[in-house]
Amino acid sequence: MTVPLQAVSLEVVLGGRAVLREVSLELRAGWTAVVGPNGAGKSTLLRALAGLLPLRGGQVRLQGRPLRSWSAMQRAREMAWLAQQGLQGGDLTVRELVELGRLPHLGLFGTPGPQDLRQVEQAMQDTECGAWAERRLEQLSGGERQRCLLARALAVGAPVLLLDEPTTHLDPPHQVSLVRLLRRLGEQGCTVVSVLHDLPLALQADRLVVLRDGQVAACGAHDDAALHASLREVFDNALRIERAGGRFVALPDLG
Amino acid sequence: MSALAVRRRRLGFGLALCSLLLLSAGLVAGGEGWSLAELGDLLRGQDAWLIVGQIRAPRTLGAWLAGGLLGLAGALAQGLFRNPLADPFLLGSASGASLAVVAVLAAGTLGGYGLGHGVGLAAAAFMGALGGVLLTLALARGAQHTLRLLLAGVVVGVVLSGLSDLLTLAAPEALRGRQVFMLGSTGFLGWDGCLLLGTGLALLLPLAQRLSRLLDALVLGEDSARSLGLPLPQLQLLLVGLLAAATGLAVSQTGLVAFVGLAAPHLVRRIAPGPHGYLLAASAAAGAVLLLAADVAARTLIAPQELPVGVLTAIFGGAYLLWLLNRQRGA
Amino acid sequence: MSGSSHLSRRRWLGRALAAVLLAPALVAAAPPQRIVSLVPGLTESVCALGACARLVGVDRHSNWPPEAAALPRLGGLDDAQVERIAALNPDLVLAAPGARVVQRLQALGLKVVALHTRSHQDVRHNLLWLGQTLGDPDLGRKAWAAVETQMAAASQSVPAAMRGRSVYFEVEASPYAAGPDSFIGQTLVQLGLRNIVPVALGPFPKLSPEFVVRAQPDIVMAEARQMQDMPGRPGWASLTALQRQQVCAFPSADYEVLVRPGPRMGRAAQQLADCLARLAKDTR
Repeated sequence: MTVPLQAVSLEVVLGGRAVLREVSLELRAGWTAVVGPNGAGKSTLLRALAGLLPLRGGQVRLQGRPLRSWSAMQRAREMAWLAQQGLQGGDLTVRELVELGRLPHLGLFGTPGPQDLRQVEQAMQDTECGAWAERRLEQLSGGERQRCLLARALAVGAPVLLLDEPTTHLDPPHQVSLVRLLRRLGEQGCTVVSVLHDLPLALQADRLVVLRDGQVAACGAHDDAALHASLREVFDNALRIERAGGRFVALPDLG
Repeated sequence: MSALAVRRRRLGFGLALCSLLLLSAGLVAGGEGWSLAELGDLLRGQDAWLIVGQIRAPRTLGAWLAGGLLGLAGALAQGLFRNPLADPFLLGSASGASLAVVAVLAAGTLGGYGLGHGVGLAAAAFMGALGGVLLTLALARGAQHTLRLLLAGVVVGVVLSGLSDLLTLAAPEALRGRQVFMLGSTGFLGWDGCLLLGTGLALLLPLAQRLSRLLDALVLGEDSARSLGLPLPQLQLLLVGLLAAATGLAVSQTGLVAFVGLAAPHLVRRIAPGPHGYLLAASAAAGAVLLLAADVAARTLIAPQELPVGVLTAIFGGAYLLWLLNRQRGA
Repeated sequence: MSGSSHLSRRRWLGRALAAVLLAPALVAAAPPQRIVSLVPGLTESVCALGACARLVGVDRHSNWPPEAAALPRLGGLDDAQVERIAALNPDLVLAAPGARVVQRLQALGLKVVALHTRSHQDVRHNLLWLGQTLGDPDLGRKAWAAVETQMAAASQSVPAAMRGRSVYFEVEASPYAAGPDSFIGQTLVQLGLRNIVPVALGPFPKLSPEFVVRAQPDIVMAEARQMQDMPGRPGWASLTALQRQQVCAFPSADYEVLVRPGPRMGRAAQQLADCLARLAKDTR
């Protein structure tokens, strides 16, 4: 079975500095969280996977084919990306913003059909922002806007989702909703890759990738002991991993 | 229909109504200021076709069309840079046009060529505006990085202004001509100018509207827009091209009229914001009304003398921005 | 032979073309009755030819003679009021080459003639042409002859002691000087003075102040207002002409005559000669 998203010996150099060094990953259906200390290259990895960065070396493969061989529109339909930075303007209504997610299917000139409208509605429902569909973005709070941006990414209906810090501005209840949503998408067969600096949330994912200094320090299931050991090491032993019910949590180690 | 859609429709009607009123007012505003009686006399006399038909009508319509082009250009600039303070002259078009005008005037007075007089001047201004933008694009190496584009535009503006100042040293008579050009005037607009402006607007507005989804998507940031499958470098280049063409056309016929391009999209967003498919057309209509209103005022306030229309738009535009600032501070 | 017939056909074509181009000028043989002048020098020329009554509008700078000053002001060359000009229904509009209004007025069907006014030759040409156009070529010749006579008289009245002296004539405060090729410079040459500005710099060059200081002109000429500020300019206090008051400071009205290229150039020459005579008396 083809691997939905694969990084093969990725090398990325930004501003003269090698940010990613020989990163190789296989990302399958389910929710994978990318974690690591500041400056490890998490966002860069996500952007490289999305095809937004020139590669010094290596290759990204989407559904088995090199990313470069995909046309821009095909790639956009297959892989959706959510940026870390926020909006640069607030005139659009929530619905108009989420509809932008259908661009890979409609192009610049196509008119939305029933399928598009349905996807938009579903995306807004999943992120609980349907209530203010007709309100303008600048009238919403940071957290509300983040959910709309999330809905935009979901509206693409792509089997691969790359989310850079999707929990920005979200309060705990909505963080929990997001986790549930990502898990559900993973179960439905989507390949969800999210960069998260929040370790407790990251540990709710199916798999984790630990980055350090532009290289993969560890990669494994959320309950893999070797992964936990690597996590502690990468974060300078500032935390300990404990079992809590069926999952694990990360706690600060003040001892 | 949502409240917002209602407001948009009301804005559309309001702008259409204002346009009709101002277009009629433009026919009344003339050499003796505002005088319906004088218009009546004129229409009964034999000068009607010359004065009203050949002078007042084309300059009134031309002001409306040029304002439309400037409003469109302003909305394009603000969408491209995602900055509400962007105006169409940011990419070197103003200084390019002014340099070309000075060059033609200087050649006329120095070499005695009189290079085709008026036609030469309008064509030169258009070429100069496009040339300035091309120089900016070359300096920024494409339209991809908006910050680089902005900086290149500033550099080109300063350099070309300096060159035009240098030229006016060698030919001081060109200084007067440049001053008049910089302040803007509809006094030289004939039906041929109107045809150019009208054709330009009729071509550029639909073209720009086809790019409206790109402008909407840019709100998400350039990377997100690219991730949605949009060929950003080419589309942004096209955007800059449309911006340059609209600005160049307007500037070539009416000179440099400040603030219309900046204020028109602002006003539309303040009254009834919306996605770019609507915003571009509404900004064009708002710009048309603004410039036409300023032009009618410029022709009537100190009749029989005329104020340069750019002075009025600068005063009104400046006052509007001050009021905006005050509102921000209070809010 | 085909060669020569080709050449003669070309020549015939050329003549036919010239005839076609000149035809409108020939057809409009009737002298103009309603004239608009957008150049002050040309306004004065028209009036010097006795046709002041035919003027229906002038530019904002035309202020002489008083009859012309009373006419409707139609703006300047660069911001001429097209509508008011057209409303006056002129059959001749006088302008300068390179003005944008020329093409606009021509597009409206008005007859526009653009004339240079940079040198004595230009003024002479304009007077003759205007004389012919207005229907009396003799008037043009007489008007120019009057100017020449006045200038010759002025030249004669310049004291011998002042001949050959170097002069700096300031046109604007930056400083812009009158070069030997300008109409002012040509008058100064006729009065026997030497210009500190070399011919190569053109008619109205912008000089570096250093140039003027180093050239140490014998006589400095300027508008009285600018003359007041001159000693204050850095380095200019060292000008011996200023120290010894070998200056011609003209009040605004007189200065305007000096810088207007038109039929009053003779009077301008006389004004300059009078000042020189005064200076010669003062040094004695």
